[in-house]
Amino acid sequence: MRGALVLMLPLVLAGCDSPLSTLTPAGPAARDIAGLWWVMLGGAAVLTLLVLVLLAMAFGPPRQVRARVWTHWLGLGLSFPVLGAMLAAGLWVGERVLPRDDGALQIKVHAVQWFWEFTAPSPDGPVTTRDRLILPAGEPVDLIITSSDVIHSFWVPQLGGKMDAIPGRENRLRLQADAPGRLAGQCAEFCGVGHAVMRFEVEVVEAGDWEEALRDAANDGDAEDD
Amino acid sequence: MTDSTAPGQQVATPADARDDTLAIAPNPPRRALGLHRRLSRVWANDPGWWGHVTAVNHTTLGLRFMGTALVFFLVGGVLAMLIRAQLATHDGAFLDTELYNQIFTMHGSIMMFLFAIPMLEGLAIYLLPKLLGTRDMAFPRLTALGYWCYLFGGLIMLTALLFGVAPRDGWFMYTPLSGATYSPGINADVWLLGVTFVEISALCAAVEITVTILRQRAPGMKLTEMPLFAWYMLGTSVMMLVGFPPLILASVLLEIERAFDWPFFAVARGGDPLLWQHLFWLFGHPEVYIIFLPAAGVLSTLIPVLCRTQIMGYGAIVASVLALVFLSFGLWVHHMFTVGIPHMALAFFSAASLLVAVPTVVQVFAWIGTMWQGRPQLVLPMYHILGFFLTFVMGGLTGVMLAVVPFNWQAHDTAFVTAHLHYVLIGGFVFPMMAAAVWWMPQITGRERVRGLGEAAFWVILIGFHGTFFIMHLTGLLGMPRRIDVYPDNPEWVWLNLTSSIFGFVMTIGFGLFVLDMALQAFMGQKQRRDPWRAPTLDWAMPLPAPPYTFASIPAPQHLDLPAREVITILARGEGLLPGAPRDRRELLTTSLGTARPDHVALLPGNTALPLGLASAIGGFVLLMLAGLYALTLLPLVLVAMLIWRWGRGMVRPVDDAPIEVAPGLSLPLQGWRRRTLGWTGSVCLLVANGTLFASLVFGIGFLALVASEWPGPEARVTSAALPWVAIAALMPVLGALAQRRSDALQRRGGDGSAAAGLGVVANSVAVAALAVLALGHMDDPTQHARDALRGVLAGYVALHALIGAGMAGFAMDQFRRAEITARHAGLLPVWRLWQDYAAVTALVAALLAVGLGMSA
Amino acid sequence: MRWLALSLVGPGIWAAGFVLVYALHGVGCARGWPAMGLAGALDLHAGALWAGWLVALGAGALLLLRLPRAKAEAGLPVWLPRVGAWIGLAATAFTLLPVALATSC
Repeated sequence: MRGALVLMLPLVLAGCDSPLSTLTPAGPAARDIAGLWWVMLGGAAVLTLLVLVLLAMAFGPPRQVRARVWTHWLGLGLSFPVLGAMLAAGLWVGERVLPRDDGALQIKVHAVQWFWEFTAPSPDGPVTTRDRLILPAGEPVDLIITSSDVIHSFWVPQLGGKMDAIPGRENRLRLQADAPGRLAGQCAEFCGVGHAVMRFEVEVVEAGDWEEALRDAANDGDAEDD
Repeated sequence: MTDSTAPGQQVATPADARDDTLAIAPNPPRRALGLHRRLSRVWANDPGWWGHVTAVNHTTLGLRFMGTALVFFLVGGVLAMLIRAQLATHDGAFLDTELYNQIFTMHGSIMMFLFAIPMLEGLAIYLLPKLLGTRDMAFPRLTALGYWCYLFGGLIMLTALLFGVAPRDGWFMYTPLSGATYSPGINADVWLLGVTFVEISALCAAVEITVTILRQRAPGMKLTEMPLFAWYMLGTSVMMLVGFPPLILASVLLEIERAFDWPFFAVARGGDPLLWQHLFWLFGHPEVYIIFLPAAGVLSTLIPVLCRTQIMGYGAIVASVLALVFLSFGLWVHHMFTVGIPHMALAFFSAASLLVAVPTVVQVFAWIGTMWQGRPQLVLPMYHILGFFLTFVMGGLTGVMLAVVPFNWQAHDTAFVTAHLHYVLIGGFVFPMMAAAVWWMPQITGRERVRGLGEAAFWVILIGFHGTFFIMHLTGLLGMPRRIDVYPDNPEWVWLNLTSSIFGFVMTIGFGLFVLDMALQAFMGQKQRRDPWRAPTLDWAMPLPAPPYTFASIPAPQHLDLPAREVITILARGEGLLPGAPRDRRELLTTSLGTARPDHVALLPGNTALPLGLASAIGGFVLLMLAGLYALTLLPLVLVAMLIWRWGRGMVRPVDDAPIEVAPGLSLPLQGWRRRTLGWTGSVCLLVANGTLFASLVFGIGFLALVASEWPGPEARVTSAALPWVAIAALMPVLGALAQRRSDALQRRGGDGSAAAGLGVVANSVAVAALAVLALGHMDDPTQHARDALRGVLAGYVALHALIGAGMAGFAMDQFRRAEITARHAGLLPVWRLWQDYAAVTALVAALLAVGLGMSA
Repeated sequence: MRWLALSLVGPGIWAAGFVLVYALHGVGCARGWPAMGLAGALDLHAGALWAGWLVALGAGALLLLRLPRAKAEAGLPVWLPRVGAWIGLAATAFTLLPVALATSC
């Protein structure tokens, strides 16, 4: 597994300056999932190697082999523990990143062909920004995701998984950003000719500065008039 | 788990240990040339260009399916190259977005529906009769109909691409993007109608593959001893029967929504876009295994022969097929992990998606174990098999990763998934198919391969493939979504995409070499001696290239364990069953489902242009729908009904035939004497598919009623005044079933059941009339709400079935009148019975559902 | 025919159980079952799901126990029905495991 990691090193470096990379997480959910990926990659490398070695060893004189060893011990005995572990790991990480009813900050995300509207609560009333999501650092945020035309998908790869915006539904996604900075997001579900340019920026600010940043955004004219 | 050594030995059971009641004496040897000439005359296609139109022979049509699929593969490949050219730079100005969207949509649709599925159908149609020891598929005209539907549907889609009106919503056509509001124009209709047209061929193929495997195996070839390829194809065809109907239903519903504005997916009027996703993936995931299983069947056939041994774990492999057939229907939601479904529901499908890997792993290790116990020969098919192992194992592992919910949330809809699915489909289907092509080309062409070029093609494809797709995993993890045409702000993706594009062109060159290699073999190869691979299966027990009748005589139980090259002469000299064509008609032997005891002699129809006519009529319907001339579609529909009647008349057999002595001391009746003909078994298969369609509709109703946001809808204006008409519509098909039973009873007694059959016509017609009254006077406007639209669909479903029931009753009445139904000949009665019973049950269920959807007092 | 049908019973039990539990889950989430108490700490939703899972497991186990008594069709081996029963039971146990592990709605 370490070998696989070393092999992937240049690829990781290549990912460092990518604002949309899932491999440079900037939040706990993305970090958990990236960890899951590295472990699975290592396991996959080992299993691929195992199969290739067994294949290479097959080229030679006939051997006395027992069918049961191959179909039962390797076929069932190897696969069930691996798959069981993956199910457990997946469930564990999945449960960790799930939204909870703990009164976290809620920001509305509305997808339209082909832009994003983010509506955050503030003391001065809800502030709507277009293609620009402002998040407080270090705090869990629930995004309430909707659409009124076609299906889109909200995705900030450095923070966590994606969630579809589907007409007639309200989907909830919990994200948390570690530290102030600029991240990027995009639409991940094909939504017509503007799909490739349906992007938004994510501005993470110190939790204490969040309301201030919202107010600035409202005054900047980034905000919608309505 | 179970005693696996027992099944392993079953393959090798010597002939004398077989069920001794199945000892069949050999026919006396005759002059092989004489048999060959007469059989060829009876089974050959018509001469000249007309022969291409009327051909129904499985060898001809199997090759035609595969050849056409290859052409579509090349078209799909060219589209892929356009995609790769566009993505090679970050602001590709090569294609505009609209055209790019059409191209990737068509690339996916062509590769799935016009390449992979028809290719495997063609392989099965070409190969199964030869492998099972019979002379043709069960329903030759259906084979031809399927081909024409495939060709016409494919041409409609290609023509749309040429004129710039091809589908552009991605090959899974998510609503509302594919709905009338966001996809005006005919682009989406081309997909819905074209693909459904092509699916007719998939259903035709599924029905006849199932029947051929279950009923036409050589005598003594028990299910549990048949070649593994047949097990795989049985699994595949059953999956097609159950897997395609949800997609057909979804396509029909979406087309109705687009054409007539009945809401099924539109949220504001009680629809839900997720209904489309459920129905689509209920088809879409089994589809992957429908494509993989035949390829795995090829591997299980080739590997042991190439290693000069027997397959390891026959029983384990059959069990794996059984598990895959079922489990693959429990994973569809893993394509929907990001739509906002509760975690527990996701987890069910995550677990099922992980579990489905187990039977695949068992097969992979059975194959490697087989190679260990034998001596693998590193010849060209083995290259492709090794290419399969390398590619498919990696694709399978990324598949298992994608089954893990949180990882899927990140990787879903990115280039990672694109990479994964190409690893699975090219690894799991294209490499095995290339091995199959190399394997069976000598049989198809009767010629040897030209040395060298095939190996070069393999290496170029392998390097090109992995160069293209391996780094695409990383491209996806670095955040590149699917289906974008430009990425101006992401310079970090450029080198990845450029690399993929360059290697993509390398892969294309490889496929070009591969096709060139096949062409050289077909036109310039040396004459091939018989049985080049020294294979044990019956497909090589014939001269090369394969003659149209395949076997001069049907193999007897004692021939099944002999090597192919020993059986060739025995069968060619007519020592098997049913030798030659002494009655100058196409005859084959049917056997019992489990143990393959000889049952009866089936007569197959000869060359006819009827399939082309019927496919053209259906094509006329499709084109009129595309043109929006909905009123005119009645014309081709009437034509379809008339042609189907003629089709049925073509099945009628003379009633004065005596039993046929197929072997010394073994006389069998003709099919007319049996109630359970091949046609009957085929009808059961069709009803399984039909029942799945109905079940999908019921699921849709339940889903919308439970989940859609705008339910219950506006106050219904339907009142209890409609109830009597509902009752008539529901009960008349039941009366039809009673009339059918009366006809049956009269037939068994040798009486005249035409009056009873006439009652069946009346009963079904009254049901249709009652539904017409309901539709005209008692139902809410179906455009108002999904509830009313669903009621309309239920009514249409019952009406269609009653109409067909009336047609069948009329056909039986006609047969009574012509004295084609006698005490011994049941004619259409058994098939009518199946249909009428089904129509009665579904009419009752539909009535309950329609009433249960609620009405005002 | 009987033999082939018998081989499909095991996986069929899984299919039925899987559909049943998935449907119960969907209905329960739509109708607010998790908020309705059943007995002690057990809410109606969890109770229904557990019941569905246990019924499917029970049916699978019963099939496996009764299978040796079912007469196989003449000339066809019993291993396929038995393997089918095992497939059904294992699949029921594995795929419905989330009943015990995951957050329901």
